[in-house]
Amino acid sequence: MTETSGDESECIEAGILENALVLIAVLDKKGRIFEWNHAAENITGYAKADVIGNTNIWKYIYPDKDYRQGLTAKIAEILATKNHFENLETTIKTRSGASRIILWNTKEIQWYGESKAIAVGIDITREKEMDAFGRSIIDNANVLMAVMAPKGKVLLWNKGAELITGYSRDDVVGNSTIWKHLYPDAEYRSTITRQITGIISEQRYFENLVTMIVTKTGERRIISWNTRQIEASGGYNEIAVGRDITEQRHAEEALLAYISEMAMRLKNPVEIIRDNLQEIAALVKEGKLTKEEMVTMLEGQVRNAKQVAANVLEFQKAIAEKNKDIPEAYRSFLSG
Amino acid sequence: MQKRTKIFPKHTAASYQGDVVTAIVNPEELAQKQIFLILVPPANMRQRNIELIKEISTLGYHMVVITTNFPYSVLIKLYSDSGIDLNKVSFIDTVTRNSIGNAENIPRVVRYVNNPANLTDLGIAVTEVLKENAGEKVCILFDSISTMLIYLSSSNISKFIHFVTNKLRLMDISGVFLAAEKGLDPMFVSQLTTFVDRVIDQDNSGG
Repeated sequence: MTETSGDESECIEAGILENALVLIAVLDKKGRIFEWNHAAENITGYAKADVIGNTNIWKYIYPDKDYRQGLTAKIAEILATKNHFENLETTIKTRSGASRIILWNTKEIQWYGESKAIAVGIDITREKEMDAFGRSIIDNANVLMAVMAPKGKVLLWNKGAELITGYSRDDVVGNSTIWKHLYPDAEYRSTITRQITGIISEQRYFENLVTMIVTKTGERRIISWNTRQIEASGGYNEIAVGRDITEQRHAEEALLAYISEMAMRLKNPVEIIRDNLQEIAALVKEGKLTKEEMVTMLEGQVRNAKQVAANVLEFQKAIAEKNKDIPEAYRSFLSG
Repeated sequence: MQKRTKIFPKHTAASYQGDVVTAIVNPEELAQKQIFLILVPPANMRQRNIELIKEISTLGYHMVVITTNFPYSVLIKLYSDSGIDLNKVSFIDTVTRNSIGNAENIPRVVRYVNNPANLTDLGIAVTEVLKENAGEKVCILFDSISTMLIYLSSSNISKFIHFVTNKLRLMDISGVFLAAEKGLDPMFVSQLTTFVDRVIDQDNSGG
């Protein structure tokens, strides 16, 4: 390996400085800029000529006086205990007026024989936006979302979870007690736990597992759960998505009850009428009925048949009313 | 309150006395004033009605038949042909007045109700007929829940059956409710089973 000369070394450092994809500035303790790389120009919109040799850049990128003073105080506080800071996140205003989020790290260096600080700023605007977007999706999703560490400790509890269960993020995150609240019946909780453990041990996730939870207000809700394992440092976490299907279940039960009711009141009566008519025919053949009795019995079956027809119409109307998507022509037909 | 010994869903007449089918309902349970729901194949409903009347009246009971299908005038012929002592049977007829309109009640024999959907009048008729026969060994036969379903929702029928069974228990009277087997939805059957002491599903007894 060949050794590089001092000039070569300076050349390499200058090349790195200029071509780095992160904002790099060299400044003194008063904030006066000595170096301002190409990425710094690109990110902030301010050219080297605008900033070198003065402290104006801080007023440019932090135009809000209160924000700037707050930031200065924070930096002073950090530097009072150590000569650098790490991962300090600030929001700058670029020359074009756009806001960018910069993650700053500094280090004390010797710069041409003098003590200076080198500040490295990473533009994390896009990551932050993506994080915010992800958080927004999680928070605005109309489902319960929870991320759990092994043994059920809750790491994330979204707004949907708060709305469905009544338990706030503060109540839940950082512990595993929520499951006792949601499943207060020890026997039921134990059954669910066994079921989940069994499924997870076989396939590491479960789909559409339906459980009944008890909310903070004591209401019972039916939740359909789906889970996935997600990699976390040193192991796996579980992400659980719970859909509140209470209303859907009630609607399904109501529909089933309605269909069942109508089956009882349609199919069965038609069979009754059929059997009655057969019996009437047999009695007539045997000469056991007077004309009046025959009329009474036949009229009875006519009445039964009329009522069955009325029941069918009632059923059709109910279907037409319940299903808004039925085309008008069919709706009109069903409504009789 | 009587002890309820419920066998559901299957209980056949044959199980009472070995392999010999001699009784649809157990006389001992009848004597304990129990209430039965009997599920019968639809085609055998009339025959089963006649057999029950014959069987129970022979045990010394006065039968009160609530008929929603065949008129009183026809039923008495069928009963008479089957050798049933008509003095031991009285009727609540929900069929005849619906057709001929002006049938007159005959005390201790027949009481007419305008139509089977009129549960208020039916309830009054049940109360009055039971009062007429107070002090006797009475058994009420309701024929049938399935026909009532043509005119009334299951929830209304359920309330009515609840009312009648409560009345029977208060008056210490046994009762039999007939229904077409496989004609009732499980939820409705489940409701009815809470009102009666025993469900007899005749599906297994060969009809």
